[in-house]
Amino acid sequence: MVGSVMVVGGGIAGMQASLDLADSGFRVYLVDKAPTIGGVMAQLDKTFPTLDCSMCIMAPKLVATGRHHNIHLLTNADIINVEGNPGNFTVTVKMNPRFVNAEKCTGCGLCAQYCPVEAVNEYDERLTLRRGIYVDYPQAVPLVYAIDREKCIGCGLCENICQAEAIEYDQTPSEEKVNVGAIILAAGFDEFEPDTKKEYGYGRFKNVVTATEFERILSASGPFAGHVVRPSDGEIPKRIAFLQCVGSRDEKSNKYCSAVCCMYATKEAIIAKEHNPDLEATIFFMDMRTYGKGFEQFYQRAQSEYGLSYIRSRVPCIEENPETQNLLLTYETEDGTITKAEFDMVVLSVGLEPPKSSQELSTVFGVPLNDYGFLDWKIFEPLKAKEGIYACGAFSGPKDIPDTVAQASGAAAMASGVISGERGTLVEEKVYPQEIDVAEQQPRIGVFVCWCGINIGGIVNVPEVMEYASTLPNVVFVDQNLYTCSQDTQEKIKQAVEEHNLNRVVVASCTPRTHEPLFQSTIREAGLNPYLFEMTNIRDQCSWVHMHTPEEATEKAKDLVRMAVAKSNLLEPLKSSSVEVTQSGLVIGGGIAGMTAALGLAQQGFTVHLVEKEDHLGGLLRSIRFTMSGEDPQEYLATLEQSLRDHPNVHIHTGTTVERIDGYVGNFTTALSSGEEIRHGICVVAVGGQEHKPASYLYGKDERVVTQLEFEDMLSKGVKAKTVVMINCVESRDDTKEYCSRVCCSEAVKNALKLKEKNPDTNVYILYRDMRTYAFREQYYDRARENGIVFMRYDPETKPRLEKKGESLVLYAHDAALDLDFELHPDLVVLSTGVSPYDNSALSQMLKVPLDRDGFFLEAHMKLRPVDFATDGVFMAGLAHSPKFIDETISQAYGAVARACTIISKERIETEPIIAEVDEELCCGCQVCIPMCPYNARELDEEENIVKVNEVLCKGCGSCVAACPSGAAQQRHFRDNQLSSMIEAFVRR
Amino acid sequence: MDKLKFAFYWAASCGGCEIAVLDIDEKILDVVEKADIVFWPVALDIKYKDVEAFQDKYIDVCFFNGAIRTSEHEEMAHLLRAKSKTLVAFGACACFGGIPGLANVSDRDEIFNLVYKELPSVSNPDETTPQETYSAPEGELTLPQFFDTVKALHQVCDVDYFLPGCPPTPELIEQALTAIFEGTLPPKGSTLAPEKALCEECPLEIQEKKIPFIKRPYQVIPDGKRCLLEQGIVCMGINTRAGCGARCIKANMPCRGCMGPTPEVTDQGAKLVSAIASILGVEGEERMTEKEVEALIDQIKDPLGTFYRYTLPISLLRRKVMKK
Amino acid sequence: MYEPKIIGFLCNWCSYAAADLAGTSRIQYPSNMRAIRVMCSSRIDPEHVLRAFVNGADGVLIAGCHPGDCHYISGNYKTERKYVLMRKMLEQFGIDPRRLRLEWCSSAEGGKFAQVVTEMTEELRTLGPIQLGAGD
Ligand code: SF4
Ligand code: SF4
Ligand code: FES
Repeated sequence: MVGSVMVVGGGIAGMQASLDLADSGFRVYLVDKAPTIGGVMAQLDKTFPTLDCSMCIMAPKLVATGRHHNIHLLTNADIINVEGNPGNFTVTVKMNPRFVNAEKCTGCGLCAQYCPVEAVNEYDERLTLRRGIYVDYPQAVPLVYAIDREKCIGCGLCENICQAEAIEYDQTPSEEKVNVGAIILAAGFDEFEPDTKKEYGYGRFKNVVTATEFERILSASGPFAGHVVRPSDGEIPKRIAFLQCVGSRDEKSNKYCSAVCCMYATKEAIIAKEHNPDLEATIFFMDMRTYGKGFEQFYQRAQSEYGLSYIRSRVPCIEENPETQNLLLTYETEDGTITKAEFDMVVLSVGLEPPKSSQELSTVFGVPLNDYGFLDWKIFEPLKAKEGIYACGAFSGPKDIPDTVAQASGAAAMASGVISGERGTLVEEKVYPQEIDVAEQQPRIGVFVCWCGINIGGIVNVPEVMEYASTLPNVVFVDQNLYTCSQDTQEKIKQAVEEHNLNRVVVASCTPRTHEPLFQSTIREAGLNPYLFEMTNIRDQCSWVHMHTPEEATEKAKDLVRMAVAKSNLLEPLKSSSVEVTQSGLVIGGGIAGMTAALGLAQQGFTVHLVEKEDHLGGLLRSIRFTMSGEDPQEYLATLEQSLRDHPNVHIHTGTTVERIDGYVGNFTTALSSGEEIRHGICVVAVGGQEHKPASYLYGKDERVVTQLEFEDMLSKGVKAKTVVMINCVESRDDTKEYCSRVCCSEAVKNALKLKEKNPDTNVYILYRDMRTYAFREQYYDRARENGIVFMRYDPETKPRLEKKGESLVLYAHDAALDLDFELHPDLVVLSTGVSPYDNSALSQMLKVPLDRDGFFLEAHMKLRPVDFATDGVFMAGLAHSPKFIDETISQAYGAVARACTIISKERIETEPIIAEVDEELCCGCQVCIPMCPYNARELDEEENIVKVNEVLCKGCGSCVAACPSGAAQQRHFRDNQLSSMIEAFVRR
Repeated sequence: MDKLKFAFYWAASCGGCEIAVLDIDEKILDVVEKADIVFWPVALDIKYKDVEAFQDKYIDVCFFNGAIRTSEHEEMAHLLRAKSKTLVAFGACACFGGIPGLANVSDRDEIFNLVYKELPSVSNPDETTPQETYSAPEGELTLPQFFDTVKALHQVCDVDYFLPGCPPTPELIEQALTAIFEGTLPPKGSTLAPEKALCEECPLEIQEKKIPFIKRPYQVIPDGKRCLLEQGIVCMGINTRAGCGARCIKANMPCRGCMGPTPEVTDQGAKLVSAIASILGVEGEERMTEKEVEALIDQIKDPLGTFYRYTLPISLLRRKVMKK
Repeated sequence: MYEPKIIGFLCNWCSYAAADLAGTSRIQYPSNMRAIRVMCSSRIDPEHVLRAFVNGADGVLIAGCHPGDCHYISGNYKTERKYVLMRKMLEQFGIDPRRLRLEWCSSAEGGKFAQVVTEMTEELRTLGPIQLGAGD
C-alpha cells in the first residue's frame, strides 16, 4: 500500500479532491493536460445562484493547491500507462515540454510582451489573441509561461529578454513513473461544439456565440473588459436570445440533459441585464430545469426582478440579416403559432459532453464508459470507476459546481479509504531552525528592493528607492535583487539576516498574495518568526500601472517602502497554538446519508457514533422500493446496515436524540437522550427530510389520493387501477414551498414506468409544470413517453382541480401546451409533493449553525463548500442540506467524510496566527463583537464578564476588532497601532 | 505635617463641577482639615494678581474645571500650571472639552452672529458684538479673546491627572483625594477612573447585540431590564469609562459619554460609529438593499452631536471645517 | 497641477487582487493612491479613516468584495453600514463626503479598480486639497 493518490484533472473537482487528501495526510499528484490548473471555472464570470465572482471564490483554492507541500503538480502532462492494483498503482506520466524552465520562470511576463507572434487565446474562447509564449490567465497556477511551439518562430527574443534565463528551446518530453495507492479521475467535460448544428449558423454568423464565449464577454477580464458588446461590430446588443438545449436532449447530438444550462443561461442573462438594464433578454427553452438549492427562487427573481422573458419553444434555425448582422429566429410556440423575432445577438446554451480524452482514459485506466461516453457508475456507488479508481465531477455526468465539489470530496474519501493505513507515511514536513527571540531587541530592519528583471527596475528607480530606504528609522541593511523570488536570492536574504542580525525583513517587489509565503519561509529558515516580515507591492500596483510616469512611480515606491518599514517596526512574532483533537466523529441521523458517512469515517479508521431518533436505521430509504436503473434499495440498505453493525469502529445509538452539544471543532461533547455523553472531534448533520404531506387535492380525505412514496409502496404490493393520474409540483414551487424538490419529476417517471411495466394497460397521466429529469435521467423520461405515458403540462395559474362526484374522482385540468380544458376520471391520484425539512431549529441552535429560508441547513458557501458549515468541524449531507437523489446523497455523505478527515486525521489542530484577540483588562463584556463573527468564534465568559476568542474558530477577518468600541479587541498582524503606523507614514515628513 | 494647598478654578464650565466638590458631603471637613484652599474664584475673593504673586509650584494640587474657550482661560491655565505641583483636569470639560466643546461645529463669527444678532429674543439694533478692546473715555477696556475653537486643558498645557465626569462623582473625587492625601497617585498622565467601559458596571441585562432600529429616548420607554442599546437607544456606555456607577442607566437614561473614552480609544465618536453601524441591522444584512441600508443609518439623526457629545475637541478632527 | 493623495484600504481577497490584476493587465492609472492591505474591508474602522485625513490624505478609498462575495461571508455588509454612517458624519464635520469612497471590486475587475482610482483622483483634483479645522 502506498500513501499517495493521483488526481487526474486540475479543475475545481481535481483541486478539491487534492486539497482534501493532502490535508488529511496523503501525498497527491495532480495531473493536468493543460499547462495550468483551474479548468472551466477559471473562465467563468460569475456563478449561480449567488452571482459570486468565479475567480474570487476559486483563486484561494488555486493558490492553496499550488502551494500545498503535499500536492505535486504535474501540468502539461499526459498519462500513458497504469499498472498495478488498488493500493499500489504505477502510473507512467508523459511530461510535455513547456520550453520554459518551471524552476526559473518567475511569471513576470516580460517575454510575452516581446514575443512577436500571436495565437488565438483559448482561455478567452478564441475571442482574443495571445502571444506565442503565454499563460492562460494572470492568476494561473503554476504561474509559469509556456511556449506554443506550433506558433513559435524561434526568433530568440524571449530568450534574450528573460533575465531569469528560463527559456529552454531544447526541452524534450520526458516520462515519469509515479507510485500511488489510489486514483481519482476528475477529467471534467468538454462543451458541445455547435458547428455541427448548421441550422444555427455558429461560425458563420458572428453574433451567434456559445454560452462560454458569452461568459468571457461578460467577464471584466474578458475580451471586451466586461463591456457586453457583440462581436460583429462592437455595438451594445439590445436584444439577446438564449437558445437552450443546444447539443442536449437532442436525437441528433446528445440525448441526455446537460443539467446546468438552464441555470447558466439565466445567470448570464441576469448579468447582461445588470450591465445594460435596457437589455431585452429572451430565453427559449423546453423545460426550465432549475432544480437545485436556491435555483427556483433564482428563476423566479430572473422574471420578477430582472424581467427576463422565457419562451417555451425549441428554435429550429437562425437566419442572419446580412446587412445588420442581426439574427432572425423563427419558432413555433406550444399552441402552434409561428412567430418571427429579431435579435442583435444569440447565445447558444451548449451542452456538456464527455471530455475528449474520455476514451483514452477509459482505455488507460480500464474504466467503463456509459452510452454517452461519460464514466459509467452505479447508483449506490456513484464515485467508483473500479476498485482503487474513483471519479468525480462532470466526467461522470453533467453536473453543477456544488455537486462536483461534494463529489470531489467524496472521491477523496473513497480513495483514501483504500489506503487509510498509510496515512501520513508520505507527507513531508519541513524542519526549521530554532526561532530567535526578538522580544527585547530594538528593531533592525533589512529592506530588499526587487528589480523583477526590468519589470520594476525599468520604471522605478530601484537604486534611489534603496538609498531612500536606508535613511528610514531602524533600517540597518538594504539590498537590491534582480529577482527576489529566485532560489539564490533566498540564500542571500538568509545570509543578510545572519550577518546583520536583522530582526525584521521588508521586501518591496510583487504581490504578497502569491509571494509572501515564500519570503516568510526564507526568513523562518534564517531563524526569524515568519510574521516579522512585511511586503509591499511596487510592481503590480506600481511599476506596471504607472509605466509612463517613472518619477511618480519611484516616489510612490518610496512611500510604499516607508509605510511598510513603519509597520515592520511594530511587528510581533506570531505563533499558532494548537489544540488536541478528539479523533472521532458523531453522525446525527441514521438514514442513507448518515449511514454512509458513518461507514466512511469508520473505514478511515475513526471511531464514530451514529445517532438515530427512530428505533431503526434507514430513514427515508426504507420507503424506496425501486430505483430507475433497477437496483433493489432494500437489499442495499440491508447490506449497508450489516457493514455498519459489523464494523468495530461504529457505535449505533438508535431511538436516541441529541440533547446538548458543547465545544467546538476538534473537541465536542454531546449529551444523548440515553444519558450517554460522547466526545468527538467533528459532527455530521444528516438528519434527512420527509415527504411533504399536502393539504390539497383531497389528500387525507379520499384514500384514492396518495403521495408518490405511498404509491411506491402500493406498487410493490400490486396496484389495481385503470387510470392513474400523477400531479407534479403539488405544494412545490408555490407559496407553500418556494423551492423545487428536485427528485419528484424523476420519481413520478420511475413510478409511472414501474406501473406500466406491471400493468401495461393502465392509462397513466403525468401532469407537470416542467419536467426536470436532468442529466441522464432524461432517458427515462424518453422511455416513459415511448411507453405511452401521457404528459400534460399545466400552468401554475390554471392548476388541476380534483373533485369527488358521487363516488368517483374527477380531475379538471387545463393543458397549457394545447390550451385545452379536459377532464379525467382517475381511479388513483398520485401527488408529487416533494421533500420538506424536519423542524431543524433545535439542532441548529445547539450547533450554532444556520438554516436557510426553507428550513434546510445552510452551508458555508453555496458553490464551493457544499458540505461544510461556516462553523468549523460541522458538516452536512443528504436531505438535511436540500432535496436530492440517492446517488447524490451518497456522494455528499462521502464528501462530508473527506472534509471531516481533514480535521480528525490530525492529533492536534493548529490555529491561524493572524486572528483576533481580546485584552482582558479592557473588555467590558458589551458583546458588540459577538454578532460580528460569522464563525461563532467569540463567546462570553460569563464568570469574568469578558468575551474570549476561540482561536481555533477565528478566521481573522477583523470585523469584530473594528466593531469593538473600547479597543479591547485587536487583530494580530493588523493591530490598530500597526495600521496607524502605516497611515501616519503615508505622507513623507 | 503641613497642610496641603489646594486651588480650584473654573474655565468654560457650567459650575456643576464646583458643586461637585461639595457633593462629597461631610468628607469636605476632612479636606479642610488636611488642606488649605488658596484660590477658588467661586467662593473666595482672591484676585488673579494674588495668584501671580505665588511662588512657582506654590499650590500643591490645582483642580481645574471647564474647557478652554477664551484667552483668559488659556492664560489661567498657563498660570496655574506654573504655580501648581499637580494639575488635575477636573470634569469632562477640562478633560475633553465637554459640552462647550460641541461649539466646535461652529466658530466665533457664527456664534456671535447667532447670540448677538439672529436669535429672535435679541434686540440689538446696532448689531454690537463683544470687542476685545474698547476705547472708553476712562481709557482702554479689554475683554479676553473668544477663540474659534474650544480646547481641553491638556491641549494648552501639561496636565498631570484627569478626573472625568460631568461632573465627577463624589466617589471618584473621594478616591482622588484619598490618593492625594496618602501619596498613592498613579503615574502622571493617568485618568483617575477605571479603564473598562461602563458595561462593566451596568446593571442591565445583555441578551444579544443585534439592533434592528434606532430610537431616540423620547420615542420609547425602556423596559428597565435589557441593555438600552439592544432596545435601540444609543447608549455610549460601550466605550465610555466606567466609574460613574451607571447613574444615568439607573435613571433609565442612556449613557452620554461624560466619562470619556476608554484608554485604547483615540476618537470616541469614530469608534461608536464603527460599533453601532456594525450591530445595527446585522440580522438579515445579506438581504438588505442599498436604499434600506441608507434608511436604517438615517435613523441616527445627529451622529456628530451624539457620538462626540463630550469629546469633540480631543477627537481626531477636533472641529468642523468652516466654509470660508 | 495639484495632486491629491489617496489612501486605499484594500481587502486581501478581492480588491487587492483586483489591483494586482490591473497590474498584470498593464492598465494605467494615476499614481496618487497608496494601498494598505487588510484581510477584509470590515477591519477598517472609521478611526482609521479620520486618521488618514489628519495625516494628509485628501481622499480615502475603501475597497472590498462585492456584497455576498466577502471571503468572510458577511464582513462587507458591516463595511457598508459603517461607510454610510461615516459619510453622514463627515458631512457634519464640513468634509466633503466624496473624499471617502467605498467600492466593490472583484478579483476579476482590474479595469474597474483602475477606473475607480482614476475617477477618484480626478474628483479630488477638482475638490482641491483637504482643509481641516485649524485648532487656533
Ligand atoms: S476576527 Fe473575524 S473570525 Fe475572528 S473572531 Fe473576529 S469576527 Fe470572528
Ligand atoms: S466588543 Fe470589545 S469590549 Fe465589547 S465584549 Fe467585545 S471585546 Fe469586549
Ligand atoms: S474579504 Fe473582501 S470584503 Fe471581506
